Amino acid sequence: MSDHETTRALAVRDLDVWASGPRGDVAIATGIELDVRPGEAIAIVGESGSGKSLSTRAVLDLLPEGVRATGSLRYGERDLSALAPRARRRLRGRELALVMQDPFTMLNPVERVGAQIVEALRDERGRRPSRAARRAEAVRRLAEVGIADPAVADRYPFELSGGMRQRVAIAAAIAEGPRVLVADEPTTALDVTTQRQILELLGELRRTHEMALVLITHDLSVAFSVCDRVYVMYAGALLETAPSRELRDRPRHPYTHGLLLAEPPADRRVERLAGIPGSVPSPGTRPDGCPFAPRCPWAAPACREGTLPPLRETAPGHGTRCLRIDEIATELGHGGDRPGVTADAASRASRATLVTVEGVRKTFAGRRGHGGTTALDGVDLSVREGESVGLVGESGSGKTTLARIVVGLEEATDGRAEVGGVALVGRTTRADREALRDTVQMAFQDPYSSLNPARTVGATLREAVRLAGGERADEERAVGELLERVGLPAQYAQRRPSALSGGERQRAAIARALARRPRLLVCDEVVSALDVSVQAQILNLLRDLQRELDLALLFITHDLAVVRQVTDRVYVLRRGVVVETGATASVLDAPAHAYTRELIASIPGGRSLEGSTRA
Amino acid sequence: MSVPDAKAAVTARDGRRSRSRSRARRTGMPVSVALSAVALAAAILCAIAPGLLAPQDPALIDPAGGLQTASGAHLLGTDALGRDVLSRVVAGARSALVGPLILTSATVVISTFLALLAGYLGGWFDAVVSRVADTIYALPALIVTIVIVGVFGGGWWLAIGVLVVFNTPTALRILRAAVIERRDLPYVEAARTIGVSRWSIMVRHLLPNLEPMIVTCFFLGFTYGMVELSALSFLGLGVPPGSPDWGRMLAENRVQVAQNPWAAVAPGIAIVATVLSANILGGWIYERLERRKRER
Repeated sequence: MSDHETTRALAVRDLDVWASGPRGDVAIATGIELDVRPGEAIAIVGESGSGKSLSTRAVLDLLPEGVRATGSLRYGERDLSALAPRARRRLRGRELALVMQDPFTMLNPVERVGAQIVEALRDERGRRPSRAARRAEAVRRLAEVGIADPAVADRYPFELSGGMRQRVAIAAAIAEGPRVLVADEPTTALDVTTQRQILELLGELRRTHEMALVLITHDLSVAFSVCDRVYVMYAGALLETAPSRELRDRPRHPYTHGLLLAEPPADRRVERLAGIPGSVPSPGTRPDGCPFAPRCPWAAPACREGTLPPLRETAPGHGTRCLRIDEIATELGHGGDRPGVTADAASRASRATLVTVEGVRKTFAGRRGHGGTTALDGVDLSVREGESVGLVGESGSGKTTLARIVVGLEEATDGRAEVGGVALVGRTTRADREALRDTVQMAFQDPYSSLNPARTVGATLREAVRLAGGERADEERAVGELLERVGLPAQYAQRRPSALSGGERQRAAIARALARRPRLLVCDEVVSALDVSVQAQILNLLRDLQRELDLALLFITHDLAVVRQVTDRVYVLRRGVVVETGATASVLDAPAHAYTRELIASIPGGRSLEGSTRA
Repeated sequence: MSVPDAKAAVTARDGRRSRSRSRARRTGMPVSVALSAVALAAAILCAIAPGLLAPQDPALIDPAGGLQTASGAHLLGTDALGRDVLSRVVAGARSALVGPLILTSATVVISTFLALLAGYLGGWFDAVVSRVADTIYALPALIVTIVIVGVFGGGWWLAIGVLVVFNTPTALRILRAAVIERRDLPYVEAARTIGVSRWSIMVRHLLPNLEPMIVTCFFLGFTYGMVELSALSFLGLGVPPGSPDWGRMLAENRVQVAQNPWAAVAPGIAIVATVLSANILGGWIYERLERRKRER
């Protein structure tokens, strides 16, 4: 954009990233332009396959084997692409630092965290300071990232929680006072409450250390809550860039607009979530012209031809890569203010109870009886016919264990669990298990491992149909009906899971669960591994299924906004105990328990959004 | 439930995989792998139709023409009894390949079966199978085999049988670990939830996903078996005297290595080349299968 500004920490122009594959080079990202001013926080937002991670890796010279980049990279006055590898390596860490996503693998497991933080520490003469000095420095830096206990420096990574590890990693990254800190999905693997703390820490360090922050994320609300400006990437192209507030209130690109709409609001239930149809094209299968055109409701024939549309500046600092900005500007203004609706939970209050869980405890034995853990500690839960019940909690709250007990994958240590008239604690007969399977089925979190990679979708579904007692002659028809029910074309029966996108796999997995016509579908974090635009499609599907099939849902999630959209009643779990329960709307609007309040306060942008809802 | 069956089934399911992609992969075959494939193909051809390639009858004794060096008539010379070395190397391919093939097939079938049961069911069955396997693993295979085969009189089938027992634990460990790794994956749990029987989960859900590991165990078992069987016949155990076998030829001809070095060196080269080729090819196939599994 505007080249007259000379004070840039980082300037990227015409960056192309290529991966060499068996069929020649495939473009990962093309024509990327980024500007980072000193001390500024920018976000690069995109769904999976947008090329956001590899583009920033190219800037850091950390591309994996087989991937290369061309383009102009300037750091301050220096041209990075002209520097020798050795010089760029020296720049990394000292000037440009990186924090990665997974706090569980990025620290060396056999080294104490203190040592890892001060690993590169040298004095003025280039020598390593004494052991005591190094430790003192490590403790000081841990304090800087909010770890006040000096004993943490002597611990190993596996002794720390995910949030603590992320803090340690940040301490190590900023150890040499970099001018630019690149954080690649730093909070994606963390719980919401921890996420908020880490985001606050990053914002604070940015001010105290006067460094620029480049935050890579898939979550627009995370970007808005921390960053000054946002770049939106899609399928390897930069589609829009604007200051956070401007982008949130006046998106000019249909994709950004769609993303904002797809994000489920946490403060109200909407009639229907606006998912973006289709899925992100993978590198190598991207269309000509605008990469978003196939999914864009405003696409004109011209959008599907030629090369990438130019990045046009519509307002100062607001660039949009869309051919039809002016024509669709007024239309994009609509649709943002969706009225809230109330869930019709009252009509189900008198219906029969499907699941009764009373005082259920579950302990997992440690090795040789040592170190056993209690996952559930006296939990009560009930689900009625046709009702949608949410189970909310952070990792370790026991919500998945409870779901697995309801489905029969796990047996409770103690207490009473009854599903569809079958008692699940103690001995069960074959007939009991069959009855249970006809009552309750489950959809799993990870769409990439919940379908057998060696079998076609059709084979998986046929098996399920057969087990449901279907006639062999009717199998094909039943499989077709199941696919149609979840919104997949019938030809998908011939495909293997590898040919399906994440959302399509989740649909297929739901179809399998529906084959036995269960009364209750247990959904264990079914949307947490999906992109926002696809997440909305699946949530809509589940709501439709609940209504059309009179299906009860037990919906497990960590995401309060999602729970709001799908459930009538909610249970809040914390460390194996239900701390609060009630109608979803009343629990979220007027939380009684401190933990629920903390969860709600941790929703990124949750509170800050309130004041700026568009009129 | 033989291994080739499972493989064929999986390949058939792969039918609709894009042709251009598999072609690209085929052209991506490294030279070492191509050479290995050619060498193995040659060995297999020799085993199927020795008459096609052997210039003479390998058993034809010519007392007058013993220990000739390489010449036009005998490309690799003759051994002490005047038999053509080249013809005997060609004829030896059959016993060299068939033995390890039977050995490794039996080993892989047994260990796959046990690994599925032990890995998926766990409990006492797993404990018993694993402890027995560990015990066998701790014994020196070749020495015990020599003793057993020696005491019971050097039968070829006995040698194969004993080696199957000794080679099973290696494959069993690899495959059992692979089963355990997949046992708790969501697609297996999903199958349990919709009511698929345990047997069906093992055969239809787990087995096809073990394919890369099974192929690896097959090739590993083949090369191990070939070295072991050659060592046994080198010691005069297993194959009957007089039959053209690479290990036996190595033993018979090593004393006359000064007169016609080829008589001992050629079978040695044949053993090394075949083992190496099988190893390289097996490694490459494994990587290809794994890569295919990873591609989403």
